[in-house]
Amino acid sequence: MTLIGVPGRSGGIAVVRRLAGHLARGLVMILVVTTISFLIIRNIPGDPMAAKYEKLVEQGMSPEAAQQAVNVLYGFMPTGSMWEQYLDYMKGLARLDLGQSLTVPGTGVGTVLMSAAKWTLIPVLAGTLLSFLVGIILGVYAAIKRQGKLGDLLAISGSLLHGVPQYVLALLLGAIFTTLIPILPAGGTADIMFEPGFNAGYIGSLIQHATLPVVTYALASYGGWILAMKSSVVTVLGDDFILAAELRGMKRSIIFRYIARNAILPLFTILALSLGMLFGGAIFIERIFNYPGLGLMLIDSITGRDYALMGGAFLLITVAIIIANIAADLLYTVIDPRVRSGGEAA
Amino acid sequence: MPVTDKRAPGVRISDLSVVYRTGAGELPAVRGVDLELVPGTITGVVGESGSGKSTLALSMLNAVQPPGRIRSGSVDIDGLGDVVTLGGEDLRKTRGRHVGYVFQAAQNSLNPLKTIGKQLLDLGRSHEVDDLPGLVKEARSLLDRMGLDGARVLDSYQHELSGGMRQRVGIMLALVLNAHVVVLDEPTTALDMITQATILRIIREVHEERGLTTLVITHDLGVVAEIADRLAVMYGGRLVEQGPTREVLGAPRHPYTRGLLQAIPRLVGDIDEARALPGRPPTLGTIPPDGCVFRERCDVRMDVCETGEPPVLTIGPRIVACHTAAGEGEQKETVTTGPTRGEEQA
Ligand SMILES: Nc1ncnc2c1ncn2[C@@H]1O[C@H](COP(=O)(O)OP(=O)(O)OP(=O)(O)O)[C@@H](O)[C@H]1O
Ligand code: SF4
Ligand SMILES: [Mg+2]
Repeated sequence: MTLIGVPGRSGGIAVVRRLAGHLARGLVMILVVTTISFLIIRNIPGDPMAAKYEKLVEQGMSPEAAQQAVNVLYGFMPTGSMWEQYLDYMKGLARLDLGQSLTVPGTGVGTVLMSAAKWTLIPVLAGTLLSFLVGIILGVYAAIKRQGKLGDLLAISGSLLHGVPQYVLALLLGAIFTTLIPILPAGGTADIMFEPGFNAGYIGSLIQHATLPVVTYALASYGGWILAMKSSVVTVLGDDFILAAELRGMKRSIIFRYIARNAILPLFTILALSLGMLFGGAIFIERIFNYPGLGLMLIDSITGRDYALMGGAFLLITVAIIIANIAADLLYTVIDPRVRSGGEAA
Repeated sequence: MPVTDKRAPGVRISDLSVVYRTGAGELPAVRGVDLELVPGTITGVVGESGSGKSTLALSMLNAVQPPGRIRSGSVDIDGLGDVVTLGGEDLRKTRGRHVGYVFQAAQNSLNPLKTIGKQLLDLGRSHEVDDLPGLVKEARSLLDRMGLDGARVLDSYQHELSGGMRQRVGIMLALVLNAHVVVLDEPTTALDMITQATILRIIREVHEERGLTTLVITHDLGVVAEIADRLAVMYGGRLVEQGPTREVLGAPRHPYTRGLLQAIPRLVGDIDEARALPGRPPTLGTIPPDGCVFRERCDVRMDVCETGEPPVLTIGPRIVACHTAAGEGEQKETVTTGPTRGEEQA
């Protein structure tokens, strides 16, 4: 008798099959994004590579050396057929060589991306998870108390915050906490007076600088969470099995768990997607708080016509979304038995 | 022959009225219903869709859902008192433990995220069952009796079971805690004829073994004929006729009961003999506030039926609410005893 056993029935195969599907789709996505990056870099008006090449020759470099330099910069030869260039570019990518950054001369795109990514990853992750937690807990209350004042208040707070654009929120909070009541720094990641490293002063300064971006990000997405959770809970409350559980005299705490677990399920898709979008999601906030994450880097790469860096950023965003999708799928396998068995009813 | 068991509690529903709040104000779905469930018997309630059967059944657990409420009346259960006045933990502990309930939509009465076995354990824990292995054993044997592989079913999720299997799980959950009053709302609707016959036989067997007091709701006269000792016919929120099943079906007194019987196509005999009742059953908004609820469709109506509430007459073991029976029996106001023991049919 395996009453409490883990139902293994054919679940593993279904998971592997779906995972393979995800990877295949992911590869196609990567191929499409990189190809588009290549085409953009190669075909933008004004041909930055030709311009660079000519500039180097003008500066007195030999044509061969100039070509070599351009090749290093972009990851492929500006001569040869389009097809050869494309293959070169792809071969570079396969070796994880994303080319050289123009805005940060002499540095590989990969290095630039990674150093910017950490400034986005940590605040956005913290902000998203914070708002997710607060949003779903308040969302449950907003649903249960939806007939009363508290429920109304929570729902209204959600709608209001959901409707305000991120940059308005960022400007507003910035104005309040850096100018009106100047208790928080206006930009950067840490005061330069502190030695970067594992010391109290530096970490304190890091947290101080991250507060505004994190809080802005959290507030901006909180509205979405509370509204989504509320509507999900209301749907579950109307489900027959909740009434049936009540008619069987189930304990309130058990029914609450039934409701919460069923209601939160659809939200994990949104969570995974928003975490996937996280690298691209903080452009305005980073711009306004001058926070050197990927968003700011992307803006710099656009203004500096740093196409290799742009291509790298798009690739990173794509990979993040693919990973998020796979993570969401694995998560559902753990928490939803219907997904686990591949959705086939007996 | 039903045994009137000493353990079986009696149930007295008195002057029960249940209203739903609608755009046109609060409208009664159940009005002035008096019904006694004799200890140890099976009472069947029949009526067309919308006649208020489920509303009546939910009242037995004080579980009428908003926007509905019990406006007046009582549901007295021996040993429990008037459940209409129960609330909070007292009410919760009554549900499931003392009054078992099979939900009309029993196919959807299970939490999709948990195995049946785990939900069974939740049920046991909700009612402080100490011997959980014993509970599991009992559940398994009930399922086995209903023609299922009990061990397998307990190990399954809802989506792995067919509609009919889920319905039997719902019946098992209503019986497994050994409640002595059992309410079954359309317990066999999702089942084919053969399974239906099996399930009805099991219900009857368990009822007799344990000495239960059972209420079976159905729109199928065949089901009550098979299983019920007593029969109550409901129309437009009113009980129009009740009495021993055989007598009511053999010699219906109320024009509606007659109409219902004539509408049944016989397996043998001319299909044309089945005459559907003309017209449609009333909905909440179209139930006439005074006079007889059935008069729109009645072929023997009289002038008095337009304005005068039909008298509720007790004629021997039967109760009929119709002007045509006037003068034959005793009026409700003078008789408060209702049917007594020992009068059930052989
Ligand atoms: N939540 C509700 N809000 C408004 N009216 C309701 C509600 N639930 C039931 N009613 C109305 O109350 C009346 C009785 O409904 P009930 O479900 O008790 O009927 P029923 O006899 O069980 O019908 P069925 O055979 O279709 O299950 C119907 O007219 C129905 O429209
Ligand atoms: S009271 Fe009148 S209308 Fe109603 S069933 Fe009897 S005869 Fe028909
Ligand atoms: Mg019903």
